[in-house]
Amino acid sequence: MATDAMTQARRGRSVEGKPKFAVAFTALFMFILYVPIVVVVLFSFNSKKSLSVFGGFSTRWYQQFFHDEALLSSLRASLLIAFVAMLASIVLGTMLALALERVSSRPARITGTVALIPLVTPEIVTGVAALLFFAGLGMKLSLVTVILAEITFSISYVAVIVRGRLSSMSDEVEEAARDLGCTPFQALRLVTIPTILPALIAAGLLIFALVFDDFVLAFFTTGVDPQPLSVRIYSEIRMTISPAINAVGTCMLLVSVLLISLSLIVPRLLGRKDSSLDLISGG
Amino acid sequence: MSLQVEDALVDATTEKRRSPTRTRLWGVLLAPPAIWMIVFFISSIAIVVMLSFGHVNDVGKAVFGFSLDNYKALADPVYLKVLLRSAMFAIATTVISLVLGYPVAYTIALHGGKYKNALVAFLVIPFFASYLIRMYAWSTLLADEGLVNQLLRDTGLTEGIRFLNTPGAVVAGLVYGSIVFMVLPIYASLERMDTALIEAGKDLYHSPLQTFFAVTVPATRAGMLGGVLLVFLPALGDFVSAQLLGGPSTYMIGNLIQQQFFEGHDQPLGSALTVVLMLALLVFMVFYLRATQRVNRET
Repeated sequence: MATDAMTQARRGRSVEGKPKFAVAFTALFMFILYVPIVVVVLFSFNSKKSLSVFGGFSTRWYQQFFHDEALLSSLRASLLIAFVAMLASIVLGTMLALALERVSSRPARITGTVALIPLVTPEIVTGVAALLFFAGLGMKLSLVTVILAEITFSISYVAVIVRGRLSSMSDEVEEAARDLGCTPFQALRLVTIPTILPALIAAGLLIFALVFDDFVLAFFTTGVDPQPLSVRIYSEIRMTISPAINAVGTCMLLVSVLLISLSLIVPRLLGRKDSSLDLISGG
Repeated sequence: MSLQVEDALVDATTEKRRSPTRTRLWGVLLAPPAIWMIVFFISSIAIVVMLSFGHVNDVGKAVFGFSLDNYKALADPVYLKVLLRSAMFAIATTVISLVLGYPVAYTIALHGGKYKNALVAFLVIPFFASYLIRMYAWSTLLADEGLVNQLLRDTGLTEGIRFLNTPGAVVAGLVYGSIVFMVLPIYASLERMDTALIEAGKDLYHSPLQTFFAVTVPATRAGMLGGVLLVFLPALGDFVSAQLLGGPSTYMIGNLIQQQFFEGHDQPLGSALTVVLMLALLVFMVFYLRATQRVNRET
């Protein structure tokens, strides 16, 4: 009787049969999800200067992109911003996560709550705040201000991701290292950090992708030259519509898809389960 | 005072042996990120609030002050209309995302079988494409001379439809922009759900649909609430969708803020708008937290 119920429960996920409507709906949903992206990529190879009539395969828009010094310097700027923001936010975010996970004092709890606020604050608010802050300090807007703003935003992300990993890790291992004569710092360096390293790598790749693609914060905090790629594209879009933008967009898509795939794969290669997919879906 | 005692008690019971050196290490770890957040986040938000009571002086420079003029200016019907529109767009976006996203989460979670993880990955990947590029993609598709209208004309049924600059296009852009944040939490709560409940429901109710609304939906309330939060918040503050897929007639509060800082040069007014946006979100958060507490208590 009991086993009956259990098999029933286990089979439960498929027992009611696949509702055809739901499956068809999901397929259509996925299709529509990809249509705009596929179209952007497709028309980046258009030999005509049209976004509705495909005139044949050509790489002219990519050649134009790779010979456009202004766009290339924007690309370099975006890569630099993402790289620096990634490094800084991984360090600061991990410190925050460690402290929050291991300390239950009042300041730690308050910081923990405060660190969550940027995640639920619309980017435009963070952008306006950063802009006024830098203006108030008399700082000239430049890549430095973009980087500072992006770090602030990314620390929260990293802290949440790393905390998730830490909470599933028993601190008895740390205790054991301490009993074996490690100083607290040694225990951290030799035991904790290596254990959470896959999560750190996944988080780093995720942050790189998010910052590289970010538009709103960059828009509010960037100076004139060089502008991050997303800000450059935005001003181009407002002036003209051309497959050249598609070519730049395709390159950006390539960077993010590559990074996200890596963040999914790397932790698995290192023999750990926690890829960024689990981090995102909370599974 | 009593809270401190409570803290100490909790510390004493949960942390068996915490040596002073250990605590010092965590304090050292906490300080840099905490200081960073205070300097760059808290204080910058404080500046926005302060400047919202300020004004622009005779030489066009924004200065601090203590007047409510900016907020009074926002009571103008021109602004109220935009505020109302923003709320309507954000609510519409959330409802549509819920209605479209739930079946997708349901299908993957309960009928995904061994492809479950692959399907979730397939779902997530497009959302890592730059938001700006995705909005641009829709704007080229839906343009008067865009691909969709080209295909429509080819069928000969219509001379083409005007999509851009309509509220529908802006809301569609917002839905496309963040529907994944609705699907994932619902998916997670469906995954956690005990499917034996559905079986029991089937014995109890007549149709699968009744079972769905009486059993599955209530069991996934936490996931739906999470999704509502994650879709509503960014939608309310968005300006890219209304900029690229809409026009002045579909502007949202985000567009007004952006204008004040880049075209209008009235930073105090822009700050006041930002504060209004923050307050709206705060109210929403309070309702959200109350609702989650209720759900947690019931389940």
